[in-house]
Amino acid sequence: MSKRGEGVEQSGEHRIPAKRSAVWRSLNDPAVLARCIDGCQSLERLGEDAFTATVRAKVGPVRATFQVALKLTDMRPPESYVLHADVKGAGAGFGKGSAEVTLAETEDGTTLLRYSVAGRVGGKLAQIGSRLIDSTARKMADDFFSAFHQALDPAANRQQSANPP
Amino acid sequence: MNPFNYHKPSTLAEAVALHRDAEDPAYLSGGHTLLPTMTQRLAAPSDLIDLEGLAELTGIAAEDGTLSIGAFTRHAEAAASAEVAGTLPALAELAEGIGDAQVRNRGTIGGSLANSDPAADYPAAVLALNAVIHTDRRQIAADDYFRGLFETALEEGEIITRIDFAIPSRAAYEKFPNPASRYATAGVMVADFNGTVRVGVTGAGPCGCRAHAFEAALSAHLDPAALDAAELPAIDFNSDLHASAEYRAHLVRVLAQRATARLVAAP
Repeated sequence: MSKRGEGVEQSGEHRIPAKRSAVWRSLNDPAVLARCIDGCQSLERLGEDAFTATVRAKVGPVRATFQVALKLTDMRPPESYVLHADVKGAGAGFGKGSAEVTLAETEDGTTLLRYSVAGRVGGKLAQIGSRLIDSTARKMADDFFSAFHQALDPAANRQQSANPP
Repeated sequence: MNPFNYHKPSTLAEAVALHRDAEDPAYLSGGHTLLPTMTQRLAAPSDLIDLEGLAELTGIAAEDGTLSIGAFTRHAEAAASAEVAGTLPALAELAEGIGDAQVRNRGTIGGSLANSDPAADYPAAVLALNAVIHTDRRQIAADDYFRGLFETALEEGEIITRIDFAIPSRAAYEKFPNPASRYATAGVMVADFNGTVRVGVTGAGPCGCRAHAFEAALSAHLDPAALDAAELPAIDFNSDLHASAEYRAHLVRVLAQRATARLVAAP
């Protein structure tokens, strides 16, 4: 990992209203992930444990398109994996980081998802946005998990299938 | 900077139509956030629509308990305005404390509110002074306006035309400026409306917010000590290289107490 750039650390937990096996499947499903990443223009599986995505990020005045390479390691289905991301924006900067994701079954049949991210952001993005990197990272994580929650909520899904598009 | 088309509409309707028809447009107000972002190529709008000179966006007037400020009013104009100084001196002081002279001579109140930077000063005043944000299509109450980090109630292409501030009996603004940028590491405005107190906070979380428990405590007893044990707003406090979340939370209470102390000491 590069020594340059601004450090980002982030952790949190979310209760997902679905069985652990379903949460695990969705976390490995490009279609679900693409729906949950704000600004995701494409997301393709490159192999069993690798994805590539194009994401158009929109934060305040910034509008930049990033190429994201994702790799999964330390797979222990359906309990945990480590997600490594390598982010490049044409001229805008770069980011690199990894997230440990663990899924725990709870007594009421829902799943507790815990994550902890460590990474660095560099290039112009870090210069112009250094005072905002942490809050931006938190917002992106919150947006992702609320969309992911929505995608796996049985109540929301029933409604969806009752009203086909 | 990438090439773009520059437009200088002469009416509000023309500006909105240009925005609707362009591929990837952006409105240009003071440009003190947008232009640096464009020179860094972190934004590359296809069309810039300059809002300067639109009659619908200019003017400052005070009547019937309301101070109305046109969206294109630059910070320096608000700071120097006799109407603002006469009715809402705390707002004039806030405007005078934004950024540096260059920022104040270019930046506008409408641009600042549309951008909704978490560390901007005006959000504290908009919330404390129960402002109404007028746009080309509707009116938005202050409490409905700020939604999150750089997120507001504004729709795509919507333009703020003016901001109507309720004139309080008295008000005071205190901020802890970043020493380099003068952005608010945290900032608090306390406004007293005949005994009902409103408290607007900026810089502390993802966007401006009210401190409801502070308001209740001060409405019951208008004294800095009333805030010693009052609950902080339930927000995700920002943490960055300038200040930790804990420090910002501490600042919010201290600044609210300082603002209250000034407010009660004022003649």
